[in-house]
Formats: sequence, C-alpha cells, structure tokens
Amino acid sequence: MITGRLSGWAAPVILAIILIVGPFVLPLIGANADMMSRILIWGLFGLGFDLLFGYTGLLSFGQSAFYGTGGFIAAYLLVSHRIGDVFLGLAMGTVGAAIVAFLVGLLALRRTGIYFAMITVAFAEMFFFVENSPLSAWTGGENGLPNVPKPAIHIGGFDYAFDTDWRMYGLIAVLFFLGFLVARRIVNSPFGHILTAIRDNPARASAVGHAISRYKLAVFVIAAAYAGLAGGLSGVIQSYMAPDAFTFDTSGQLVMQTIIGGAGTLYGPLIGAAIWLYLRSALQIAGLGPAWKLVLGLVFVLLIVFLRRGIVGGVRDLFGRMRRTPADEIAPVTGSAAPVLHVVEDHTATPRGARPVVLEARGLGKRYGGIVANADIDFAVKEGEIRGIIGPNGAGKSTFFKMLTGEIGPTAGRILLFGGDITGRGVTATSQMGLSKSYQINQLFPKLTVRQNLNIAALARTRGMFRLDLMRHVNQVPELGNDVAETLRLVGLTDKADALVSELTYGEKRRLEIGLALGTGPRILLLDEPLAGMSPQERADTVKLLKQIGRTRTLVVVEHDMDALFGMADRITVFNEGRVLVEGTPGEIQGNARVQEAYLGGVHVA
Amino acid sequence: MLNWANFVSQLFNGLVSGALLALISAGLTIIYGTLGVLNLAHGALFMLGGYAGFVAYQETGSFIVAVVVGALFVGVVGIVLERVLIRHFYDRPDEDQILVTFGLGIVLVELVRVGFGSLAQMVPAPEWAAGITRLGFTIYPTYRLVAFGIVAVALLGLYLLLYRTRLGLTVRAGIEDATMVDALGINIQRTFMIVFGIGAMAAGFAGIVNAPIISITPNVGDDILIECFVVVVIGGVGSFPGAIVGGLIAGEIMSLTSMFNPAYSAVMLFAVMALVLVVRPQGLFGTR
Amino acid sequence: MGRFSAREKENQDRTGATAIARGANHVERKPNMTDRKNETGVTRRSALLSGAGLIGAAAIPALMPRLAFADDPALGNYPVTGDSVFVGINVPLTGTYANAGADEQKGIELAIEHLNNGDDLIKAISSKTTKGVLGKTVVSGVADEQAKADVAVQNATQFITNNKAQVVIGSVSSATAVALNHLAQDKKVLYLPGISGSNDTTGKDCTRYSFRECFYAYSASAALAPVLFKELGKTRKAAYLTPDYTYGHTVFDSMTKFTEAGGWTTATNQLFPLGATDYSAYALNIANSGADTLVVIGFGNDAVNSIKQAKQFGLFDKMTLVVPYMSPFLVQQVGQDLVAGVYAGLDFYWGIGDKFPLAKQFVDKFEAKYGAKPEWGAEAGYMQIALWADAVETAGTFYPPKVIAAYESGKKYADSLVGPVQWRAADHQLIRPVIVVKGKKPGDMKSKDDYYEVVDIVPGDGIMQAPDAFGCKLGDAM
Repeated sequence: MITGRLSGWAAPVILAIILIVGPFVLPLIGANADMMSRILIWGLFGLGFDLLFGYTGLLSFGQSAFYGTGGFIAAYLLVSHRIGDVFLGLAMGTVGAAIVAFLVGLLALRRTGIYFAMITVAFAEMFFFVENSPLSAWTGGENGLPNVPKPAIHIGGFDYAFDTDWRMYGLIAVLFFLGFLVARRIVNSPFGHILTAIRDNPARASAVGHAISRYKLAVFVIAAAYAGLAGGLSGVIQSYMAPDAFTFDTSGQLVMQTIIGGAGTLYGPLIGAAIWLYLRSALQIAGLGPAWKLVLGLVFVLLIVFLRRGIVGGVRDLFGRMRRTPADEIAPVTGSAAPVLHVVEDHTATPRGARPVVLEARGLGKRYGGIVANADIDFAVKEGEIRGIIGPNGAGKSTFFKMLTGEIGPTAGRILLFGGDITGRGVTATSQMGLSKSYQINQLFPKLTVRQNLNIAALARTRGMFRLDLMRHVNQVPELGNDVAETLRLVGLTDKADALVSELTYGEKRRLEIGLALGTGPRILLLDEPLAGMSPQERADTVKLLKQIGRTRTLVVVEHDMDALFGMADRITVFNEGRVLVEGTPGEIQGNARVQEAYLGGVHVA
Repeated sequence: MLNWANFVSQLFNGLVSGALLALISAGLTIIYGTLGVLNLAHGALFMLGGYAGFVAYQETGSFIVAVVVGALFVGVVGIVLERVLIRHFYDRPDEDQILVTFGLGIVLVELVRVGFGSLAQMVPAPEWAAGITRLGFTIYPTYRLVAFGIVAVALLGLYLLLYRTRLGLTVRAGIEDATMVDALGINIQRTFMIVFGIGAMAAGFAGIVNAPIISITPNVGDDILIECFVVVVIGGVGSFPGAIVGGLIAGEIMSLTSMFNPAYSAVMLFAVMALVLVVRPQGLFGTR
Repeated sequence: MGRFSAREKENQDRTGATAIARGANHVERKPNMTDRKNETGVTRRSALLSGAGLIGAAAIPALMPRLAFADDPALGNYPVTGDSVFVGINVPLTGTYANAGADEQKGIELAIEHLNNGDDLIKAISSKTTKGVLGKTVVSGVADEQAKADVAVQNATQFITNNKAQVVIGSVSSATAVALNHLAQDKKVLYLPGISGSNDTTGKDCTRYSFRECFYAYSASAALAPVLFKELGKTRKAAYLTPDYTYGHTVFDSMTKFTEAGGWTTATNQLFPLGATDYSAYALNIANSGADTLVVIGFGNDAVNSIKQAKQFGLFDKMTLVVPYMSPFLVQQVGQDLVAGVYAGLDFYWGIGDKFPLAKQFVDKFEAKYGAKPEWGAEAGYMQIALWADAVETAGTFYPPKVIAAYESGKKYADSLVGPVQWRAADHQLIRPVIVVKGKKPGDMKSKDDYYEVVDIVPGDGIMQAPDAFGCKLGDAM
C-alpha cells in the first residue's frame, strides 16, 4: 500500500495532465465528453468510498443511499425552483447526504465486518424504497426528476453557462481534481494515518488511545459527502435524476470498479470506472450484446483472485518495492537527541517508601456466569516500581490485565489510576490517561512500516482521542518525528524504521510491540509476557531494555520466565485460581512454600 | 377491523413461504458457520437449481427427476467451486471472500442469460400436485402444500445429517471451532468441500422446487439472496435452528405486512434486519 | 457587450446582414458624433464603430439561428454529413424486459433493412422512399439500456454525440421513455419510444421531439371497456392487481374510469411492489373479495408470476382474466392454459394479418428473417421507423423542426401495419387502433402460434383522451 507511491506533487500533476490531455486523446478510441464526465463522477464517488473501504477497511454495499440522497436533494431543490443556483443546490445535496450519513452511521457503525456490510445493504434497500414510494411526490418515484438545470456562473456581468458537454467535462474535471486533492490531504493527515491503523488492527488502534468509533463515523460521513456530490452531478450532467441511483446495483458497481482499479489508492476507483464504462460500451459495439456483463464479471473475479490490489496495485508491485519518498514520511529527527518522551525523571533516586501509589485495584473481580476468573483482588503499584506478576496458567493474570487496561469491565471492585477511578472507562480513555499495555501476542499494524506503527501510537499522545485534523499534513504534527525517533532508539529499531512489519524477525516484532506501547508516552506500562518466544540472547536484551524503561516509568510485567523476572522486578505478586496468593520481594517469593504448591499442584512435604 | 379469515390465511401463507426461505438460508448459514465465507453467490445457486431442473424436465418430462437433477447438479457445482476457487480464500480477509462470491454470483447469472436468454422458463407442477385444496379457512394451491411438505422433509433430512451423523458432528464442531477440528486430525478440507456442496444443494433444491410457483429467469435469485441475509441475521449467523426460525419469521413478516400495506412488506424485512443488527447482532440463536 | 451590441443591432435592423459583415465602414455616416481626428486619421467614432464591427462579426454565430438564411441552420445533429444517416437503437437486452427489448430491436432492424433495400412493405407506409432515407443509407447501432433510465440516457447521449444519430429509438419501460423524452428535447434530436404504456409519455412528460406510436393506458382501457361490457355484461365486480408505480396507477385509473362508467364495481385494488415474486398474499385477498373478474396490470415478469400464481390459487375457477395492457411474450411464458378465455389489449397481433394485408406482409417477412412471429414490440419498432422515414421524406430534409412539422401536418396514412393511422399534433400520439383479443382454448388452436381470437380492432379516433387531459405541453422545436 505504501510501496511505489508517487511522491508529493507527482500524483496531482499527473492527474492534472491526464485530465487536460484526455479530451484530446480519448475520443480517438471512442470516448466522448459525456462518457468522460461520467467516469469522473464515478471516480468522485469512488474517492469517498476508497477512503471508507481502501483506507479504513469498512466494506459498505450501501453507498448508493448517499449518492441518491445527495442527488435527489439537489435535483428536487433545483427542479422545484426553491434554489436557483445549481452550485448551491449541489452543495446542499452534499451536506444533506453527509447529515443523513451521520445518522445512519451512528447505527450502522456499531458493527463491523460482514454485519456492517449487511447493515449497509439493509439501509440502502430501505432508502430505495423510501425514494420510490412514500417520498415519490418529491422524488418522482420510479420516473425520477427530469429537467434538472445545467450550472451557470453569474458574476457581475460575466455569464458562463456549462451547457455543452465539454464545458460540463471541464467543470467536473475541476471538481474531481479538487476532490482528489482533498482526499489526498486527508490520507496524508494524521487522521488519515489513523484510518489505516483502524483497517489493520482496530483493537490496537483503540488500545493506543484513539477513539476509533469517532474516526469511523467521520470517514463514513466524508464518504457520503463525496457520494452526495457525485449523485448531484449525475443528475446535472444528464438533466435528469434517475431513481436507479438508489439501487443495490449502483453500490455493487462502485465496489467492483474500486476493486478493479485498486482499493486504497485514491485513483483506483477512477481507473476502475474508466475500464468499466469504456468496456461496457466497447463490448456492446463489438457485438457482444448482453454478454458484456459476463465479461466484466469474469474480469472482476479474476482480478480478485490474482490481482487483489487491482490495476494500480499491480502496477505498483510491478515497479518493485520503491522506497517511500521523504515527502510522505515523517521527517527524521535532526539536531538535539534529547529524549522527549515526556516522562518523569529518574526514580531510582527517590526512596521507595516515599513514592505514591499510581495504579490500584480494590476488591477487583470478574465472573462469567458461573465461572470466576478473578475475585477479591487488591493490588497496588507505586510510582517507579517494577512489579512482576506470576502464576500458573489459568490463574487469571490475563483477565486481570485486561481489566486494568479497560479492555473488559470488572463485575466487582474498582480500579484507580493516579488516584482517580477509571473502572469501566474503556481502553481508549485509559490509554489517554497514561496506562498502556504491550500484548502477549503481537498486535501490530501489519501493513505499515515500523515507523508508521510508532506514528500511530505517538499521534494518540499528541492529539488525544480524536481530532479532525484532516487538512494538516502529518509532517506538521509537532514533535512527532522526535518522539518516534526516540522510541525507535529505545527499542533498537532505528535501522529498521522503514521496514514493513512482515520483514521483521520475531524478536524485532516483539520489540516493536513494546515500542508501540511505549510510543503513547505512558507513565505506567503493562507488559504481558514480553519475553514469550524469544531466544536467550533476545531475552537478555529485552530485560536490559525493560530495566532501562523502568528507570523512568512504572512497569507491571507478567512473565513465566522467572529468572528474568526475578532479576528485574522490585516486587512480585503471585496469582492463583483467580486470586492474589501472595506478594513480596523476589527473594520472599522464591522460598514461599505456598507458591511452590500452587505451581506444582500441591506437593506436600511430609 | 381485522378480517380473521384473511389473517389466518396469511399466517398460514407466511409459514409456507417461510419454509422455503428457511431451507435456502440453512444452506447459507452452514456455509458461513463452517467455512466463514458469506456466500453472495447463493442466490445464483438457487437460480441454477431451477434451470438445471428445467433442463432435466425438458428431457424427461418427470418432475421428480427434475428435482433430483436440479439439487444434485448444484451440489456438484458447489463442490467444484469450493475446490477450485473458494478454498484459496479462507486465509484472505473477510472482504475478499465477500467480493469473490459477489463476482461469482454475477458470472453465474450472466452465463445462464447467455445460455438460455432472458425469457422466463416454465416448469409446471406435476399432475398429482396441481389444483386447489380446501383447507377450511382458505383455499390454497395444492402444489404449495406439496412444496411445503417437500421442503419440510428436506429440512428434516438436513437436520438428521447435521445432528445424527458423524459428518454432521464434524460440521457442527467446525462451526464452533474449525481450527480445533483440524488439529484433531479430521480432514477439515474435505469437510469444507462437502459443507459447501450441501449448502449449495439446499439452494439448488429450493430453486427447482420453487420453479412451478415463480417463473425462473436469470435474475430470480437476486431478491432471494437479500431475503436470506435477513433470515440469517435474524436467526443468527451459523445457526441451523436459527435459519429455520428466522425463515419462518421472515415469511410471516412479509405475509402479515402485505395485509396492511403490500408496498411495505419488503422494506419491513429490512427494517427488522437493521434493528436486529444494531441491537443484537448475533440474532436469536447465533453465537458469533 | 454593452452599448456596442445595442448599436450593432440598430444597424443590423436598418441595413441588414451585410452591414455587420462589413463592420464599421457603412455606419460612419451617423451625424450625432463629433469628428475629432487624431494623428493617425482615425476618429474616435470610427474606432468605436470598427470595434463594434469586429465584435459584431464575432457575434454572427450566436445571432445566426434567428436570421432567415436560405439553408437550415445547424441544430442537434443536423446537418447530416456523409452518405449515411445513423439510427440509435436503445433497448433493454439484460434484466427483466430483455425479451421485449430484443424483439423491438428485430423489428427496427427489419425496417431499416427494408428502407435500405426499398422494400415494398415500407414503401406502402413511407410512399416517397426509394432507397434509404433522402438517398442516404440508414446505419444503426444497438445499446443495452438494462431497463435503467440513466443507462438509457447515457447510451442515447453517446449515440447523439459519437454517432451523430438523427433519431434515437426504443424503450420498454415508461420511466426510460420519459427520461429520453426530455433528453431529446434538450439535445434537439428526435426520440421515438418503442413500448411505453404510461399516459404521461404523451401527457405531462410529452416533448416536442418525441413521438409515441404504441397504445397506452387510456386508449387500451377505452378500447377494452365496450368489449368487456358486450362479452361479460355490465354488472361485474372487478379485482385489480396493480404494480405500484406510475404505469400501474395510470392503467388502474383509466380502467376504473371506463368500467365503472358502464356499471362495474371495483371490489379491491391489490397494489404490489414492482418486481414482486410472491403473489400469494394478494391472491388470497382477491379470492376473498367476491370479485368475478381479475384485471392484471403487471408488465413483464410481474404479469407472468401474478397470472401463474392466480391460477394456482384457483382464482380462474370463478374469475375471468382481463389484461388491459398485455406485455409481449406473455403467453409463451405462462402457457396457453392460463390465457384461455382472457380478454386482452395488444398493440399488434400477427392474427390481424387476415384483415390488414400489410400486417400479413410484415409477419411473413419477419418470420422469414428471424424464424418466429413478431410480438408487438417489433411492430412498434417497425412502424416508428417507417413513419419517421415518411416524415423526413415529406419534409425533404433532416432539419428537425421541419421533420417535426411534417409529423404534425395531420397527414392521414391510409394503411399501415395496423390499418389507417394519423399523428395527433397536439400531443404527438399516433391515433391508431387497439387490438382486443380473447385467448383461445388449447384445443381450439390451429397452429402453435394461434394464441388468440381477434375480438375487435377498435379504431383510434374514439379511444383517445383530449390532448391536454394529461397536461401535455409540447416544448419548442428550436
């Protein structure tokens, strides 16, 4: 997805050239102004859809609802002469579609994956029905709305009407170009980066502190706005708003075009639309008659099987894994190498007794029906402490951790963070307050590079849970480059910064996993079996890393590697059968008979 | 003021159309439950069953043969599709599976259109099942009752297969945890293939049984597919009992709504579907 | 352009076209401007006026259509260059109406072939035809509109822009016909619907550039009602099975208007959504309504399914079936059993060849070329092409306003595929008969296509509404 991307200004310039040159070249192969305008309209529709699906991973089969809504609002206002200016009508259609999408999204986005896809189908069908029946007095029912006026500009004495095919093409080309620039800006913004994180690993994106439901709603609304504008233009270009805008076919065609062209590329939908519309016409002229749809269907299936990333994706792969150009990347840190990870100062100087309790559980418990996973847990960690947690399998350690981070809610008890009650606040809020976790099984963003993974974490810290910074380039986020560079340095991945996750060794991935948790700038870091699956050397390195991190942070570490853990922890808590068995220094625990019994299943010394 | 005779007839009618939906949806749901693939080509398989049966009927003049051929043909098509195409998508993201079956559905429909044209084809009900039956409160086409009976038997057969055979046990286990079944040394690949075949066969069987009621055209499966979604959502994705209950509920919703305002009967389904998805996405019986 | 254009217009009015062409020189003699020569010998006035002349010259193209030049100005795709003229065939080839669309295409293509060969059949309608149209060969292209209005509009636009079509023809759904009516008016290219049953196509959605040949809801109902009264009596109770969209509503309105005027009552109106496949609910309601006549308004697959299921619910045991607007290929898809005894309205039936020799010729030639008898979509397509050719030949030009004037001239055609016909200028609807048929019992069929007995061929004059009854306001020709 990132490989082979055109740098900075290259893509818009190439697009502008294509749009300008197209009218002279394409008619030679039989495309006319009307077809090119329609291709651009589908391309515009697809820009929004690509943001939704290609970049955020939300496959919606219901975009026709917003395409139609925007189109009919614009057409109705213009045809009934409530609004005179076509541009104003289009704008109102776009806004209308966005508002409707906001409401639909509140319901639809509660689910993901196939459920989300199915909800979008249900809503699209309902919208179609509403257009056809109850609202047919305004929408014209199955006849649609004819006589939609063409746009015109009246400024001072200057009158310009877009009443020829070529003028319409020019207008739509300009609108598409602007839409493309905006979409591109969104993609390059911090907002856009978080969208890709949501696509790759929504749970982790949420866990590092992003309110993913708000991001999803925002991109859903944006996609609908693009759809609404495209719908309005479709009515204007043919002076007729067709009810077919609302059919499932429209949504399906959009999906197919985007896949054919390549999702996650922004110009994929445009290319897909060009191929679809051109071939549909050319195949019929060639005499295939009704078999045109069969051919296109086969092309679609073949592409999904063999060239999943579509034409554009295939072209990019063909040009090899070109390294990302600097313009798309976070500018690497220059100058001072002062660690700026916003941590408190070194704790080892302060006496233990004087440090405040930063993380506490009181009477914490979790039951699942009749199964008790945790019960009566009292747990307190002081600032700067390295606390180890051990216990046999099934002792409830993971469940306990999940409650601390807010991934699951307890059925009894409270959790206090820095003295404040955070019980049930959820993982995102907890992360934003300074508590983060590194997972036992790597939860990375697999399609991004190491640097980009860390960006996601860092962006949560600097921008909070949610920020609609669509137009800002990610390079403009202050301190982002420095923060990430520092984290890279800490986990020893500086020279792998631009490698894809898939290219890392397991040990490097584990380090990245820790880096992700670190990247949010937490004051308390929970680590769930950080050494799992590592070689002895890697373990030693990681222990060193953890000790270093522990100098400026509070750590709570679950581990099965007792030697390593006992070597770095200040205190150890032992879990057994869902409860805290005993707590003490490593020395005290090592000799504790009850601990031995718990692990070995009750060996009685005679 | 409610017309009771009408109401009861519609109630009964919903049962009958619901049973058919239940059968088709059962196929869809066990495919999703076991393989994790949302088969958007399911409507096309339904249509294919109708056409295969139609061809068999043209050749032999026997309705029974048509039903058997229709079901078996689509079952085989299902197995072939799984082996050749679907198998390669298990490890790919959900969206890819949805997309490839979506494309497959289109290809199958258009192939049939190229082969048979767009004219609706007729498969008449067999002599012994034609005509009207008086049921006390209403008259009802005999063939629909027969079809209800056939579908009920098919559902029973499917139930027995799933709950009383080793294969069925494997399938149900696979619905819960396919990885585990694989780890236990059972040939999960073969199971998947058979499951897809069975699910397809259910759709194809429904297609030919339904042919005397609805004329078969290349696009006859389009609406059926969407109705199946609704059923599967209401009943719970991956649940066989859910498909049955969901099918009956969907049939009743459509029938009863048409008593009050026929135009709303389809959209009522979608409204209920959206409601279920938002409030309780796992449906009545589902676990995922 | 400010005051220069005003002055220019003044001069134009006074001195005619040539003044503009020659610009400033001829208008120097205006007395009311003071001459003040500068070094170059150009007066301010002359400078202003020559500027006006230049602008005026540049304005010629914009002003041209308003001037009465000897040759017709360019409009739409006129003038026609080259020695061929293009006809765009825009019909559904996939989707629910595909078979009717394919049939239309065949009729149109047969007509075009006949034009190019100078066949007798088409000359019987278009008397001035020799070969082609105005000596130009007729070429055509086909596009699949999938019964979707915006695809239809897109196809038509391509025909108009890419192929310079002089006429676009074809439709099966009224929604597409209406959309194309408006496109035709916009682009100034003629459009001829094929099948379009809604009253609105020559009603509120009529346009100057569109002409409808086929029968429609009002004329079908008006023709059918007297036959129904005669055959079935005046005290029937009718149940209606109506698709819930404009076409359905117009047929229902027209049918009830005429039948109730004669004494029928409407027992129930079952509205179903377009494309419904399960009619059991409606059939049950109808069965319980006490009706003795079932009027099926659905078109295409809707008609096929509703009639099949009505039969399955035993409705025909006690009801007579009436199909006011029968879609092509219905009987082939439901079987003769189900149409036995049905009263239906058709645009054309091959059986009228007994009465109309041209119809017989058409059926024979169609069958010779395509191996099957034509349905009424084919006849509609053929008629539209023939009548268009005649209008163009009469006008002597392809210039749309003159062709339209030829259409609107009120010429009576003594004979055609459906006997005498005439265009009605006020709403561009062809005044033509409706064929009322009754379905034969399978045992009475003399051949495999002998589906119907022709009960009446109702002439067009008496079965049409007042031209403005449905709100038709034709636009301008220019």
